[in-house]
Order: sequence, then structure tokens, then C-alpha cells
Amino acid sequence: MAERKTIINRIRELRFFAGEMSQQQLADRAGVSRQTIVAIEGNKYSPSLELAFRIADAFSVKIGEVFEYVNKGEEGHE
Amino acid sequence: MSYHEKKTVLSMVTGLAVLAAYCLHAFGRLGSGILSPDDGRAWAQAMLLFTGIGVVAAIVGQIGLAIATAVLLAARRKLRDPDCADKAVEREVSSEMADDEMSKLIELKALQAGFAVAGAGIIASLAVLALGFPVAAMLNVLFLSLGAGSLLEGGVQLLLWRRGVKHG
Repeated sequence: MAERKTIINRIRELRFFAGEMSQQQLADRAGVSRQTIVAIEGNKYSPSLELAFRIADAFSVKIGEVFEYVNKGEEGHE
Repeated sequence: MSYHEKKTVLSMVTGLAVLAAYCLHAFGRLGSGILSPDDGRAWAQAMLLFTGIGVVAAIVGQIGLAIATAVLLAARRKLRDPDCADKAVEREVSSEMADDEMSKLIELKALQAGFAVAGAGIIASLAVLALGFPVAAMLNVLFLSLGAGSLLEGGVQLLLWRRGVKHG
């Protein structure tokens, strides 16, 4: 049976390192509403592949630096 | 509460008000003997009338909410940052009110729940007719289940906006 995995993200951290970019600024760059960014950041919504690329592009990093696919229960271990 | 949540609440309140008004009107007339349980035409006319009222009320309400939200968001932004460009204000307002992939997924999931209730209502209405109840009972089961489906759709949307939504 496949392990139960989940998608986590480092958006909050990346926003901090991007000069404390606001959620609204990131939403504008990714072309979605601020509420969607809030939901993604809180792991309440997994974005489509295209949106994930747009978010990574907003930070000028690779998608793997924003999103990670980890075993459930390892969300807090970095 | 976000614009999408306010829009959903407004839609639910409008739907509930129209359903309540229909029940008061139609069942009041039934109680006073003006409407007969076998007069399908009169019941259908009442349902069409209230459906029309509901559609108009929903459109007017949504337009009013969109205007009020845009004005409030713009005013709040200008108060926070008086020197900001109009383009930036416009971008913030349209970003807050725009539909994106998450809002579309939430609408889709809520629609599935609404359709399930409406579908069950259609089957129940046919069963009511097959069991020999008057045509008014069949029409009311159908109409009220469509209303209930619409309310459930709104409720599921609110829940998903709060709890989050997953693909699949």
C-alpha cells in the first residue's frame, strides 16, 4: 500500500526572503486571489501544476524549492 | 469574510427568503382554499413567479455587493496608502473579487452536493406522484428540493472556503 503523503510548501519563508513580500503581491504575480495564496500557504489547498510553477516563478526559484512531497507526520521536520 | 464568502451568504439569504415567501404565499392560499391541491397549473405559476423573483433578487443583490465591495476595498487601500496609484488599487480590487482555480474547484464541489439533493428530489417527486398524492405535492417536493439543493450548495461552499479544498 502506498505511503500516505502530503504536499507542504515554503511560501511563508520565501516571502520573508523576498523582502517580506505581501500575500497580495504574490497573488498579483501568480494571477490568483489573495485568499488562494492564504489557503496554499496554510496547506488548505494544493495548487495546480501551472499555478505551482507561477508561484515558483514569482520567487525566481525552482518548483522543488517551494513545494515538497513528504510523508504525513513529517510536515514540521525540515 | 472574503468577497466570495459574502457572495455565497447573500445568495443563500436570498434563496431562503424567496423560499420562505413562496411557502407563506402558496400554503397560505392552500389553507384558505384559494389554491387546490389538484390545480397543477396554478401551483406551477406560483413557482415560476417566485423563481423569477429569486433570479432578479439574486442578480440585484450580487451587483450591489460587487459595487459595495469594490468601493470599500478601494477606500480602505487609499486610507492605508494615500499615494498609491489608481492602477494598484484597481489590481487589488480585481484580485480580491476575481474567480481563480480554487474558487472554481470549490464551486464545482459544492455544485455536486447541490445536484445530489436536487436529483434525490426529482426521484422523490416522481415517487410522490406514483404513490397517488396530488400533483401539488409532487410539484412542491420538486421545487423545495431544488431550493434545498441550492442552499446546500451555498453551505458546502462556505465550509470549503473555511476548511480548504483538495483535488480528487
